[in-house]
Amino acid sequence: MSEARFETDFWKDAKLRKSWDELVPGEPRRTLPYVLTLEAIRKYCYAVGDLHPLYLDADYAEKSPYGGLIAPPSIHILLMFACTPTDDWMRSPGTINAGQSWSYHVPARPGDTVTLQARCLDKFIRKDRLFAVHDNVFLNQHAKVICSGRGHTIRPL
Amino acid sequence: MTAAFDDIQVDQRIEGSKFAVTRETIRAFCDASLDYNPLHLDDKYMEDSFGKTRFGGVIMHGMTNFGLITRMLTDWLYARGGIHRRLETRWRAPVRPGDIIQPLARVAHKKITRLSCWLLLEIEVRNQERVVIATGEAMAEFPHDLARAVGEQ
Repeated sequence: MSEARFETDFWKDAKLRKSWDELVPGEPRRTLPYVLTLEAIRKYCYAVGDLHPLYLDADYAEKSPYGGLIAPPSIHILLMFACTPTDDWMRSPGTINAGQSWSYHVPARPGDTVTLQARCLDKFIRKDRLFAVHDNVFLNQHAKVICSGRGHTIRPL
Repeated sequence: MTAAFDDIQVDQRIEGSKFAVTRETIRAFCDASLDYNPLHLDDKYMEDSFGKTRFGGVIMHGMTNFGLITRMLTDWLYARGGIHRRLETRWRAPVRPGDIIQPLARVAHKKITRLSCWLLLEIEVRNQERVVIATGEAMAEFPHDLARAVGEQ
């Protein structure tokens, strides 16, 4: 996937996405492999002001215990949308993020081909709101876990 | 146990950098995260009610909090030979353009296990009115041999 082809209009294909009623807990989501570029890492770093030289200075990173540039742990924020197609239900307009938890193993690095294993793990109604739990594991091209995480979203009707 | 881990005290505080939220920073986060949900872009859409919730205008991505908390933790941990291992968050209140937010942490607990050393940290993010907008907890590892721990990965 290249960023140039990323559909930024989340209303497009909205009707193709599963509503809360149609989500089946346990059913995998369709995902796409994504090549993480240095440019994408830099754009993310600048958006949150996270300018540590491990992410941006190749000379510094090579001399560090990490042996080369890495991405910030929170790069999964980008990977979530980069590794899913336009009809993925996490793109539904009005999806409200209620909180997430993530565990980190190996760092993502520029040039990695990242894959995602993801599913809706649970859905429920609480205080008159529709909730869905998403469950995700990102892996690199060596099948090593980069991170795993779970989040609660409040779904539109 | 590493000397850096030994030096860390329970109740020690960490202050992250302040972050001024604008429409431009929200738009930059859309482009960086590929999250173009209209919650963050479309004021007209945001005039509607969302169940019981009415935002009245665009809001910042909750995950911006997550990125800012991570930045605070990793800046502190990298300098001490620690590894950021886990972050759990809950969003307590929406953040709007014009708000200034700051992540904060408190060392809550130290734990030595069979193979490594761990810190638990309590996290919160507050706005300029000291309102808590996000809470959470984090876990960090201080391996006995950082180069080996990172090399084995």
